[in-house]
Amino acid sequence: MVAIIEKRDLKDFDWLTTLLAIVIASFGVWQIYNALPTDSVWTKQIFGIGLSLVAFFIVAFTDYRRLIDSAPIFYIIALVLLLLVLTPLGVQVNGQKAWLRLPIVGQFQPSEFAKIPTVLMLAKYYGSRKAGNLKMKEMLIGLAIFLGPVALILLEPDAGQAITYFPILAAMYFLSGIKVRYIVLAAVATAIMVPAAWFIGVETGKIKRYQQERILAITNPDQVDPRGYGYHTIQSTITVGKGGLAGIQGETETSQSVLKFLPEPQTDFIFAVTAENTGFIGCVSLLLAYALLLSGLISGAREASDRAGMLVIMGIVCGMAFQIFMNVGMALGILPVIGVPLPLMSAGLSALLSTFVAIGFVVSVKLRRFVN
Amino acid sequence: MKIGDQVQNLGLRIIAIQAIAFILLGLLGARLYYLQIVKGDYYNDRAESQRVRFIPIPAPRGAILDRHGKLLVDSRPTYNVVLSNEPLKKINVSERVNDYASGLNLEPQFVVERLNLIKQQNEFETMVLKENVDMRDISWVESHSLEFPELRVELQPQRYYPLGTTLAHVLGYVGEISPTQLKDPVYQEKGFRPGDIIGKGGLEQYYDEYLRGRPGYRKVLVDSKGRVQSELEVVKPQSGQDMVTTIDLDVQLAAEKKLADSVTKRGTIIATDPNNGEVLAMASAPSFDPNVFVQSSSKPEGRKQIAAYWQDEKRPLYNRAIQGRYPPGSTWKIPESLAGLQQGAITVERSNLVCGGGITIGNKFTRCMGSHGSPPLSYAITKSCDGYYYRLALKMGIDGVIKMIEDFGFDKRSGIDIPNEKVPQTPKSWMPYVIKNEGKWSDIRTVYSGIGQDTVVVTPISMLRAVSAIGMRGKMYEPHFLKEFRPIAAIGQEGENNYFPARPGFGFQRAEPRILQATEAQWDVVVNGMWGVVQGGGTAGSIRIPDFDIAGKTGTAQVAELGKDVGDKKDHAWFVSFAPAYKPEIAVIALIENVGFGGSHAAPAAKGVYEAYRVARGQAAATPETVAKK
Repeated sequence: MVAIIEKRDLKDFDWLTTLLAIVIASFGVWQIYNALPTDSVWTKQIFGIGLSLVAFFIVAFTDYRRLIDSAPIFYIIALVLLLLVLTPLGVQVNGQKAWLRLPIVGQFQPSEFAKIPTVLMLAKYYGSRKAGNLKMKEMLIGLAIFLGPVALILLEPDAGQAITYFPILAAMYFLSGIKVRYIVLAAVATAIMVPAAWFIGVETGKIKRYQQERILAITNPDQVDPRGYGYHTIQSTITVGKGGLAGIQGETETSQSVLKFLPEPQTDFIFAVTAENTGFIGCVSLLLAYALLLSGLISGAREASDRAGMLVIMGIVCGMAFQIFMNVGMALGILPVIGVPLPLMSAGLSALLSTFVAIGFVVSVKLRRFVN
Repeated sequence: MKIGDQVQNLGLRIIAIQAIAFILLGLLGARLYYLQIVKGDYYNDRAESQRVRFIPIPAPRGAILDRHGKLLVDSRPTYNVVLSNEPLKKINVSERVNDYASGLNLEPQFVVERLNLIKQQNEFETMVLKENVDMRDISWVESHSLEFPELRVELQPQRYYPLGTTLAHVLGYVGEISPTQLKDPVYQEKGFRPGDIIGKGGLEQYYDEYLRGRPGYRKVLVDSKGRVQSELEVVKPQSGQDMVTTIDLDVQLAAEKKLADSVTKRGTIIATDPNNGEVLAMASAPSFDPNVFVQSSSKPEGRKQIAAYWQDEKRPLYNRAIQGRYPPGSTWKIPESLAGLQQGAITVERSNLVCGGGITIGNKFTRCMGSHGSPPLSYAITKSCDGYYYRLALKMGIDGVIKMIEDFGFDKRSGIDIPNEKVPQTPKSWMPYVIKNEGKWSDIRTVYSGIGQDTVVVTPISMLRAVSAIGMRGKMYEPHFLKEFRPIAAIGQEGENNYFPARPGFGFQRAEPRILQATEAQWDVVVNGMWGVVQGGGTAGSIRIPDFDIAGKTGTAQVAELGKDVGDKKDHAWFVSFAPAYKPEIAVIALIENVGFGGSHAAPAAKGVYEAYRVARGQAAATPETVAKK
């Protein structure tokens, strides 16, 4: 599938976005080292970045239209992998069967990779539709495509990962001409439904005790048991606040992650580690880098030569922006604790690889902006 | 936009998405500003307080020595099982009660008490669960370290009383500060915390402040499970001051042996140096083992033993020398004789009073043990003539008796430097009650008060002090055990928080005697009488020691009401004395409960003490009789 790399390709290639992604990922390696200085996770992450870059360039120099044409194949492969997770081949970690161990390939998280086929499938469907407002039938078909992987992920159960799929569908609807009144309606419905669902969920016991505690830890941090389910939120908040303006500047032996007060420092709470080590200056710089990266990707959407390419980019942008907000919001104690990795930063090959491949798609779309 | 025409406002919609993304990132930035810039210091403090712990380093308590430097009390290393608070916060402690109780052989009730106590701890988060553990307990804790990470074995100096029951009443013991004491502002001011060891009873309590060291601490870095990662600061403890007492262990052992060999094995013997009030020996029988309180108060068998001590009818925990109040009987006649002379009821030249074999008050006849005609004072002392003293008391009148009580300090504590001393009861203290109940103070009470019965009960220490003052011709010293506290050097750097200033050495502070006024002739006539008791064919003639003249007085104090059948309440035997009679260096009092005559029971006990004293001073060779078991 690798296209012949022409001279023009190199000139039009989005080096800035690529560089930004590599810089953020490298910054992430430093933070993983800060989180677990005695562990080799950070070296694995460097290896992961190398592998991801190979995949990134392959995807970037491949004509995305051919990939979109093959979307149904990828989509079906993704569904099969997600089904396999639920079989004895799946690996259970912390009560969730989110991992798959296959010969040669090793252990990986299909729910991370399934995002891309889902985006491609939705982009393929909505990219080929005719102009005009989105019809109900079109919405339902999109919903069906979306629900395939999401339902399987909810069976794992990995609610956190499933939530990250929603902005993809929302982006597709929004950019396929959904009427503004539907958006308003959805917003109002959400405003009513969320408290109602909370109330009903608590009453019927559908929302489990630990899930309730995690949400109460946000709304009433002083009311929950600091050693119970509120522990993650409280420790993360302390860790972030401790960083102050410029961070702890090398005093890692007393850091929250080294002393194990901060749980999962290299994955879910990598932002808290960043906050502790680099302070307000480092955190704001990181958020600006993300803003710049998203802007670069969005500019690709504007220049895309076709609707499907635009939709791929915006699906990826919305998914990534949402993950950033969820993860950082969790680290800052304004959102409940759900296991969503911080794109490009959190340790873990699956997330890293899928993010770089996604960015590869965007670069591929941008590369072919002048081609018809 | 090439594809913009296919969807209405596509460009605007993309901008809207970008705007929302930026707004959300801005929101995160604002929250970061709040957490890191506005509240940064607050969270920094919280992080510090959760990673820093203080682990106390116990300070060794000062040793207690006898006057020749022989060890009486020391501390030795022991292992304790301690509970640390940190891991306990994450578990339901009530589930642990039975595990601890069966694993460490503790009573469940005791475990519950400890768990409740540790919940009140904040800064220092460990508490002893079981003291003085053996290898079995240590291996149990080690083998359950994964299951019960909150348990740890710690090395700690523990008070040790190598002599066991010897001198137990004087030494006292140590134990954990009680909840009542913790609430007491006096203790709160000194910064006591639950689990602190303080002196309880005896010298351990009276001089606790000097014996106690200043504990240090280790400031350590811990991880989220409370495991120590590194040491941040160490403040070394300062040991307590060693105390040299006035006790002469050889004399003490002889005194205890005499009590042990007595018929009832109940009583007390005190030996002092009348020249300064130093206590050479203070024995009270039966005794107890302070090690039981120190080592096994957390073990079921130890608690049982402690309960048995409290319930024992013979009252082993009670220091008869300072807490026992007994009718002094004829020993009372010594201070009374001097008071009679001082007050002019009798004179040196004309000291004769009628014995008459007794006295009739109203229609009641109270007899004397013999018929002594009309003896002079010395002879009345030597023969312990009751008739003489009935009349002397009547001549002095109850006011005179009370003046004597005040002069010899029988209305106060002696001021000895161990706690819980009792005040004697005398006509002075009884007067208001008697007058209230009987309308008047009758002559018969005055007569009885003349022979140390009825309204008179005194502590052995108060009697010994009074009689010593007579041997010293009026110099009355405060009895005490403190010879010297040895100095302790400063610890750490001045001005830093690990600094403990040096603690200077010091001796006994109240060394000046009270003075009783009497003429040399008056002192002579009383001392002559006491000399005669032992040397001149008196009531204690059997205890003569060649070349060592003892001046003494026997007493046989009635316990049962006068004139009634005594049953098993036989008389208490007293002997109070000093020697050599005309240049005293040691004063001894012996009291044996419920054995009968003072001359045949208490005086020989006192003799044994004198002999041991002479051997210890090189004045006589040791005989099998004088070598007390050690």
